[in-house]
Amino acid sequence: MSSRMSAFTTVATTILFVGLSGCGYNDLQGLDEDTKAAWSEVVNQYQRRADLIPNLVATVKGYAAHEKDTLESVVQARAQATGIQVTPETLKDPAAFEKFQQAQAGLSSALGRLIAIAENYPNLKADQNFRDLQSQLEGTENRIAVARKRYIEKVAEYNKSVRFFPTNLTAKYILHMEEKPNFTVADEKAVAKPPEVKF
Amino acid sequence: MRFSQKSRRTGLFLALVSALTWTLASWALDVPPLTGRVVDLAHVLPAEIAASLTRDLDAHETKTSNQVVVLVLPSLDGDPLEEFSHRVASTWKLGRKGTDNGVLLLISLKDRKVRIEVGYGLEGTLTDLRSAHIIRNEIVPRFRTGDLPGGITAGTQAILGTIEGTYKADEVLPGHGRSSQEPTAFEYVIIGVIVGTLAGILLSHGLRHTRALLGSVLAFLVAQFASVGLGLAAAGVTALLLWLLLQANRGGGRRGGWGDGFTTGPGGGLGGSFGDGGGFSGGGGSFGGGGASGGW
Repeated sequence: MSSRMSAFTTVATTILFVGLSGCGYNDLQGLDEDTKAAWSEVVNQYQRRADLIPNLVATVKGYAAHEKDTLESVVQARAQATGIQVTPETLKDPAAFEKFQQAQAGLSSALGRLIAIAENYPNLKADQNFRDLQSQLEGTENRIAVARKRYIEKVAEYNKSVRFFPTNLTAKYILHMEEKPNFTVADEKAVAKPPEVKF
Repeated sequence: MRFSQKSRRTGLFLALVSALTWTLASWALDVPPLTGRVVDLAHVLPAEIAASLTRDLDAHETKTSNQVVVLVLPSLDGDPLEEFSHRVASTWKLGRKGTDNGVLLLISLKDRKVRIEVGYGLEGTLTDLRSAHIIRNEIVPRFRTGDLPGGITAGTQAILGTIEGTYKADEVLPGHGRSSQEPTAFEYVIIGVIVGTLAGILLSHGLRHTRALLGSVLAFLVAQFASVGLGLAAAGVTALLLWLLLQANRGGGRRGGWGDGFTTGPGGGLGGSFGDGGGFSGGGGSFGGGGASGGW
């Protein structure tokens, strides 16, 4: 009788563990951390780009001071982009995420215009300092593209776990996790194509 | 008759689908196999130059653990340079895992484009700017005069010179991928089973039937650090052990015999299987898009 009871206990234990493994508690936690890390990398690279801009603007000013509008719009877009507080909380708030994304996209297009006008100034184009800054800017844009791609992949994985059964139950009732916002395809196209720069 | 017509239609449909998937798959340029340190698919390097480059790159890796690979392509077939280069470097996993010290020098002839792709761990020394300078000053001027082998050699030497002092081989090799501090999956399972069994015996002295439950919960909690599946396995083993113990104990009170269960267990197998046999392969490094591109 007693042995049958313990056999029963063993079976019950096994069932309990199958249930535990299915709930995906640890997987969800791990994915959450991964998305946060991927996000930090995105923010990091955007910051790096913002840090390059004052030098770039100063260099262009030296050759093309009368291109005031373009120069000012870059400075303004930079101020706007760096003015947005980016915390992990941003990831939980689609509106704040959207704002961040738009500010960065605004900076991208202002920078694109700045590089385009440089084409009209042969002396500027030949300037060693300008070429160096341009290489660094290109490199940073490329890193941004890579960081964004990684973030997109991680969030897709995370969002799947949050929505799929049965891990969605753990996510909803135990961890109170929600889907995270992701970059949209439209601006992905714009970013995936690095600015064309000719030497 | 109808049947054969239907099956013919199905066949046509299948052929169409497979043709479609084939075109879709071939849309993006495939990552070529990593056949050596110099992968010259465009056949621009004379054999003796390729051999001496390979020797230099090999000696450099032995000394510093940095993995540098040269890839010369006939064409990118419309793929964006940066995207393809990152894909190749990430697929080949150049550089050691953890130090991420790999570099890819990629040249595409038809597109007249060149890129230096730098692994995370070398971004500090081989910066975007330094990479751009190497392309601008060492590679492009030679390429412009038509001296492809000279440009590739000079570029490679400049890369090696730049990253020379970053890492030393012996700092990296002992760990080789896994830090020795962390227990392996197998160790987690063993620890889990031991902890679970002991706790099952000691803690629930009065409550015989909950032993198996308590013990296997503990075993699972420990072993799930390795993976959920292994956690389940550990829990199962513990539950079985405790159940067997219970059976043995019921008859003749406490007459030892606890240790019996511990002799079981699979033999090794999960340990190091890193044998870098004959061929050359990447070491697990990752890339974050660092480096520079240029054209000639």
